[in-house]
Amino acid sequence: MRPARQNSAWVPWCLLAPFMAIFLTFTAWPLIRSMVLAFEQSFGPKTTAFVGTLNFRFMMQDPLFWTAVGNTLIFTLCALLVQIPTALGLALLLNRPDLKGKRLYRLAFFSPSIVGLAFVAILFSLMLEKRTGLINSSLHAMFSSWDPDFPWLQNYVMTSLVGATLWLSAGFYMIYFLAALQNVPPELLEAANIDGASSWQRFRHITLPEIRPVLNLITLLVVTGSFQFFELPFLLYNETGGNGPENRALTAVTYLYQTGFRNGDLGYASAIGWVLTLILVGFALVQRQISRRKES
Amino acid sequence: MLRYFSPGVWFVVTTAIVASLLVVLLPVEPRPGIIFWLFDRNHAKLSRLIAEEWEEQHPDLPVQVTLMGAAISSRMMTGFYSDTPVGDLIEVERSLIGQVFSGPLEDVGFVDLTERLHAEGIYDQINAPSFSPWTNRGHIFGLPHDVHPVMMMYRVDLVEAAGIDVSQIETWDDYFRIMRPLMQDLDGDGRVDRYLLNAAPTSLQFHEVLMLQAGGGYFDPDGNPTLNSAINIRTLCHLATWYAGPARVTSEIPTSGSGPQLIADGYCVGFLAPDWYAGSIRNSLPTMAGKFKLMPLPAWEKGGRRTSVYGGTMLGITKASQNFEAAWAYAKQLYLSPDTARRLYEVARIITPIKSNWSQPCYDEPDPYFCNQAIGREYIKLAPDVPLRPSSPFYGNAQQALNIAMIDLSRYAEDHAVSDPDALIAESQRLLERAQEQVLAQMQRNVFLKAEMP
Amino acid sequence: MSSTHPSFSWGRVLIYGFLTVFALITIIPFVWMICAALKTQADFFTSRFLPAGDGLFGIAWDRLSLHQFGRLFTELPVARALLNSVFFASVMSLGATLFSAAGGYALSKFQFRGREFITTFTIGTVVLPAALLLGPGFETLYHLGLVDHYSGVILPGLAPAFGLYLFRQAMINSLPNDIIESARIDGCGEFRIFFQIVLPIMRPMISAYLIIVFIGIWNNFITPQIVLQSPELHPLSVAIFNLKGLYNDDLSLIMAGTLVSIAPVMILFLLLQKEFISGLTSGAVKG
Repeated sequence: MRPARQNSAWVPWCLLAPFMAIFLTFTAWPLIRSMVLAFEQSFGPKTTAFVGTLNFRFMMQDPLFWTAVGNTLIFTLCALLVQIPTALGLALLLNRPDLKGKRLYRLAFFSPSIVGLAFVAILFSLMLEKRTGLINSSLHAMFSSWDPDFPWLQNYVMTSLVGATLWLSAGFYMIYFLAALQNVPPELLEAANIDGASSWQRFRHITLPEIRPVLNLITLLVVTGSFQFFELPFLLYNETGGNGPENRALTAVTYLYQTGFRNGDLGYASAIGWVLTLILVGFALVQRQISRRKES
Repeated sequence: MLRYFSPGVWFVVTTAIVASLLVVLLPVEPRPGIIFWLFDRNHAKLSRLIAEEWEEQHPDLPVQVTLMGAAISSRMMTGFYSDTPVGDLIEVERSLIGQVFSGPLEDVGFVDLTERLHAEGIYDQINAPSFSPWTNRGHIFGLPHDVHPVMMMYRVDLVEAAGIDVSQIETWDDYFRIMRPLMQDLDGDGRVDRYLLNAAPTSLQFHEVLMLQAGGGYFDPDGNPTLNSAINIRTLCHLATWYAGPARVTSEIPTSGSGPQLIADGYCVGFLAPDWYAGSIRNSLPTMAGKFKLMPLPAWEKGGRRTSVYGGTMLGITKASQNFEAAWAYAKQLYLSPDTARRLYEVARIITPIKSNWSQPCYDEPDPYFCNQAIGREYIKLAPDVPLRPSSPFYGNAQQALNIAMIDLSRYAEDHAVSDPDALIAESQRLLERAQEQVLAQMQRNVFLKAEMP
Repeated sequence: MSSTHPSFSWGRVLIYGFLTVFALITIIPFVWMICAALKTQADFFTSRFLPAGDGLFGIAWDRLSLHQFGRLFTELPVARALLNSVFFASVMSLGATLFSAAGGYALSKFQFRGREFITTFTIGTVVLPAALLLGPGFETLYHLGLVDHYSGVILPGLAPAFGLYLFRQAMINSLPNDIIESARIDGCGEFRIFFQIVLPIMRPMISAYLIIVFIGIWNNFITPQIVLQSPELHPLSVAIFNLKGLYNDDLSLIMAGTLVSIAPVMILFLLLQKEFISGLTSGAVKG
């Protein structure tokens, strides 16, 4: 009988080895390198020069950077205000026990999430065109006063982006909410019903607190996702390199991509990356504090 | 064992094995010969013809003409930065050349052709202004493909139907005044639909065309930004009143999608038309034959320059190429031969920058699409007047900064209902000073160029 | 709802109405895409969905054609792009799942020095935005000579921190220690235990994670765009994007290409819906 303990020492290391080898090379090392790169300027990975805090000092008065951050924040806010209520609303509608065709509806709502961002962008770039795009021509057919040349992509940049993202992700978050709603103990709801509480009161005082953890998670996912918004504006406004009209479609990650891979300055790109990371980590911490305080 | 995992997992495993086998068995093979990257379909057609002739004389070194899409600039730059494969020959467009110059001079990915051009006497054969965008820090990095003088392409059918006499037009003020009756409401909704010029606050390429015509521009030949020059300030004031406010006379037609339909429906009277645009319209809108004519651009002031320049392409040989001499020989054959000049004109209506080829009879042939005008000769007449347009690594920044200034100024004109350009001078100056500062800030940040800056 | 209520009520009509309208809004773009892919260029601008004509339902069925699809596979390199997408997605999903499962098993069921440190260090990187590592990651690939190679995309994707987190969590919750212990007592080698006991028990998690990663890699655009330069290596996401750049005016071609890119993962998803969705929500919601 082989003593089990003797093998244990190197077994976990063997199991971890493949993962760690890749992780150290392609995640840990670049992470460390990025902390140094943020203080350098480069023209492609071949040519780098140390510049101290120049990247950060420049960033503070770089109008493009602030435009990008501003757009990203606005987009995040809009995404939160639009995606979460829609996803929650759809989940509530679907959660009724006597609803027929629930699986079909769920499938329909979830299917856009399977489409990749790149393909959603291509699809919407054609759908939002003036005159021939699906949206304009349908609206014009339904309401003849609708301007068939309505310039979605030219003048309503944020609306187009938020709309496309809503189509893509409402179903995705709805799934989470559905799972959470299904875990709400029915006895609580029954008790409230017997006590004469209205639907709204039941929702606010029982359902909402029960799904709070998932709500927090979804909020975090939406914020982190929105902060890294890149493929959609980059592909929709590709002729301008992702800037859009008057740079209104420029997001933080698009600016990072342009700086790093079009201009070759990986240093500035890393600096932008770090500022982004700090903002996101800050948000995550703040969110934890708020939710902790609410629980107590 | 099989029941340990779900069928989905086994499906993925099988797919992985099959796909890996296929990938191994169908490897990516580097194609032999000289690789030529282009982005324009017409150029590609022409280049393939010449490549066939080349292959007859050089069967061991064929030219692979590769049409790239929007990806050409990113692949080229990544190739220069990271040693990934690039073509031996690359055609680069005017707006993208700046990036190539944004690092140290030794890192420019193209071979310096200056000495060769002079030694082989080619420099003198070419229309001088055509070299300006491809020259950086005193070195020429490519063969110019074109001259691209700009004329006004206008709807002669609309103009004649309204009884308008275009020979009276000498300046921009004349143009908008005389063409005014054509600004009409076409679909009965009470709003004007037909405008007099295809431009808008966001059409940044046209701002430059008009600025260059006026004698302004983004940079001086030494690479200093000139965004806040007096000429630019005045020019932008005029543009703002054209683009916005009560005196608006312009509207932009998109280049793709519904654009062609809008042009056919008569939504715009006049178009800033370099030779390639005239050719492109001729090819893509055959139903509009006989409806367009060309005339020199209205000047900014009486007796002023009546043309500008828009676009431009060069052919460069990459330092990574292993076949410099062959690539250079092919490049010369493609760009310098009278045959190419003729074909270029016949297919795309583009005039060659090679002065000795201007005597070709094709340029004098009446073009039925343009009401039998010999448009080639018309463009050639304007060729020596084409303004210089120096390149800079910061061209993109300057373009953006100016675009923002233009948009802001137009919005100001709209909000304050300004129709007199002089009333905008102060605001224009403020906005252009800001643009200039932005570009200077970017320039000073770049440590690789700082050492070499004036 | 109490059983004394009639099964018809305006409230229910409203609900079904809302749901149906939203479902239609969600599905219509797909329908439009399919119609666009089948129409010719001329019809594209004249009719919104299918061209009107004398056929069944007033639709000109004869004017629809698959010719755009033919073009995609003969003239254009979409077949190769499809192979690349399948290659990346299948190989990387298997690798990531295997490595994450192995790592998760090590971190959850073994005691060893440095375990807590490694757990915090690796799983902690989940909060980092991917954008942070784009630049330095590319630099690393360049120095390793992996730019413009398949391995430049594959290797970095084999160690996803999120996968490690999921598997560790799932094994803590659903892998009972006694089974492992009794196997050891029976004299089973550690690796046999892993492959023949642990992995089969984790079957649902494995299927779920495999699909999630498969679809994620299939749809991934930014990594291949940055790392791969030769068009022969491009997966569908980059290839269709290039197609749009080249054939901007041939809209039905682009829609056909998009359809080809979406169809495989859609089918995969339809077949494996349950696993996919349960994998997504596991760890987020209890039960």
